[in-house]
Amino acid sequence: MPGTIAPPDIEIIIEDSRGGGGGGERPPDGGDDGDNSDFDSYRGRQPASPRRFSTAIAIAMVSILMFFMALASAFLVLHHSSHVWVALHLPKILWVNTAVLIGSSFLLERARKRLILGDDRGFRKLWLVTTVMGFLFVAGQLVAWRQLAAQGVYIASNQAGSFFYIFTGAHGVHLLGGVAALLFVLLRNFEKAQISRSLAAEITSYYWHFMDGLWIFLFVLLYLGK
Amino acid sequence: MVTCDGDADQPETPRGGFVLGRLFSTDHKTIGLQYLWLALISVFLGMAMSLVMRIHLVWPGVHIPFFSALGDTPERYATLPLLHGSLMVFFVLTAAPQLGFGNYLLPLQIGAREMAFPVLNCCSFWVSAVSLLGMIAAFWAVPQNGITIWIISICIFLAAALCSAINFSVTAIDLRAKGMTLSRLPLTVWAWLVNAILGMLIFSILLASCAGLLSDHFLGTHFFSAAAFLASQPANVAADPLAALWQRLFWFFAQAEVYIAMLPCFGFVSHLIATFSRKPVWKERLVVLALCAVGLAGFCVWGQHMFSSGLNPFSPLVFSVLASALGVPAVILLGSWFGTLWEARLQLNTSLLFALGFVSLFLSGGLSGVFLARHELNSGAVSEDFVTGHFHLVMGVAATFAVLAALFFWFPKLFGRRLNESLGKTHFWLTFAGVYCVFMPMHWLGLISQSARNVGADLSSIATWIGPMRSFITAGILITVLAQGIFLVNFVWSLLRGELVKEGNPWRATTLEWSVDSLSPRDNFGDGGPPVYRGAYEFNVPGIAEDFIPQHIAPDRVAKAN
Repeated sequence: MPGTIAPPDIEIIIEDSRGGGGGGERPPDGGDDGDNSDFDSYRGRQPASPRRFSTAIAIAMVSILMFFMALASAFLVLHHSSHVWVALHLPKILWVNTAVLIGSSFLLERARKRLILGDDRGFRKLWLVTTVMGFLFVAGQLVAWRQLAAQGVYIASNQAGSFFYIFTGAHGVHLLGGVAALLFVLLRNFEKAQISRSLAAEITSYYWHFMDGLWIFLFVLLYLGK
Repeated sequence: MVTCDGDADQPETPRGGFVLGRLFSTDHKTIGLQYLWLALISVFLGMAMSLVMRIHLVWPGVHIPFFSALGDTPERYATLPLLHGSLMVFFVLTAAPQLGFGNYLLPLQIGAREMAFPVLNCCSFWVSAVSLLGMIAAFWAVPQNGITIWIISICIFLAAALCSAINFSVTAIDLRAKGMTLSRLPLTVWAWLVNAILGMLIFSILLASCAGLLSDHFLGTHFFSAAAFLASQPANVAADPLAALWQRLFWFFAQAEVYIAMLPCFGFVSHLIATFSRKPVWKERLVVLALCAVGLAGFCVWGQHMFSSGLNPFSPLVFSVLASALGVPAVILLGSWFGTLWEARLQLNTSLLFALGFVSLFLSGGLSGVFLARHELNSGAVSEDFVTGHFHLVMGVAATFAVLAALFFWFPKLFGRRLNESLGKTHFWLTFAGVYCVFMPMHWLGLISQSARNVGADLSSIATWIGPMRSFITAGILITVLAQGIFLVNFVWSLLRGELVKEGNPWRATTLEWSVDSLSPRDNFGDGGPPVYRGAYEFNVPGIAEDFIPQHIAPDRVAKAN
């Protein structure tokens, strides 16, 4: 700032920003994410910056994690302090469900690799299988509920039952959101969308793996605390 | 959540009719104003409730038309504090500084055209509005249904607040204009960002707890039920872990909620004091660190609320240390404010007066907080009135002062007119004196009613003091509430007839929102956003003609001093 010469006629430094500097470097159009790579360092010259979606999902995941942590801490406190804790016989199908979910995460990564390689057909096929596995997992959880109910354990029966149904139910609802995202990536016409299919697939994959990890955590918790 | 926000970025999209377009606007400025209106309605409702409570406490038999109906039965009287608290905490202290001013000013201050997810933003507001209606409905319902409606309303509000928190953090992280580096962010933006992240963490905890309550109620689960309570009672141990479970979850949220209300206020006050002292914020970097530290420590101090409810004997020590550790960022903030004020030529207008009032209240409220943070003192001093006095002074009233300071400062930006200064100053002095008259005696009341439990205390002499003291407090409340009438008159009059602001930057401030006209255009800065060349508090830079340099002026356009 010192050393440069100001035009003598500028007395008041308040001026219209729109006519002002910086215009030369403006990206041609704010809409498309294809040609913004040069301006990435400016982070969001354009309101449509696709980066906001990845940031949002990261923050949303932390928030969801806190929700389940609150439930998990309630589980630990009550389990630790209760002296009439009735143990659950966890249905065996939960192991199958867990395997399905881990498998779907694995397939999802394979599908994304196809997409990056430009193999659209291969991507669609693998992605569809992932989505179906997501539905299978939810169906498997419902079967687990039925099996537990057949044992006579309902949500209101005892504390262990309450936690089992609430954990699986809350996780299932969040997972269905992930299934919706999978379907969105599969079915949406990305010609007119603000983000590319590969970015949408990447964001969905973060959430899906997170749901996967969250389920393993809850399963371990339920298994150790049964 | 992310994917539903499809085509929200075209600000010029025509929508519906004029009324519907205004009501369901996705413009962050409209939404910010809507939140402020919501807060204004809630603050007057909440204030009316506190008035009814105090009047009932002192003159139980007195009948005031309409108002008495609010608290005429014991059940309804018991719901008054609950509703007063939830309106004030959620719809005033959380909504006004963060969601109201934040929504309006955050994109403007970082040079963005919109919030990151405008449609989500609009949904958040309307969901919050539904939640407010639900809470008011809960008040009129039968107590048993009322509490359920109330919990559902809280859940709805929390869901909306979570969406807003995500929106705020993404906007502040990803939508900054070119050149707006982290070190150039105004402190207000820092405060909103830290606050949004803190909110995102703790709102989901309260949401989980409320979900537990609701599932207890509707599905018959055993999280907080009486059966669970009995199950966790060993034969001869007096501690009750169940109550502790709810308290843990609740205070985890509630202690941090205090900082949710305070953080944006810290931002406002630093910002305003710098602007009206015409000096850079003293130790700005340190203030940013302090804001982050408040967020971090605020997240960890929940245990201090349970000193009197029986914890593991070692944990009070830990929480006591943590709670006292909060003193460090508080001292840094106070130091920065006084450092900025030091030898400054102050422009003592209403806005700065309210900011200074905040500093005063924060200091005195904070001093009584030291008592509460020390667990060995706390278990003695913790009596309702002391705590009530403490947190009203430091949280409720101080935050309100900061919000009023912000309102006087940004009123020209919001409405294109100025608030009246002489009415504003009268309002300030009456309110300032009023709140000290109300809440200082409350501390004292708490201490003497505690001393009544000591062996050999002279009960009769204590009892003679309590009655007059209560009447004094109630009189103080009456004066304070009446003084708010002056504010209301000022607000309405200035809105319609106030002095028009001709220039874009009436306070000669540096941040980006003043670089566009008052009553900012719909798309704020047009395409691209303004370039940013310097930090937010360049006041009285040596060798420069003016006493401030706005952030968006290119270095070669800044006029030199002769």
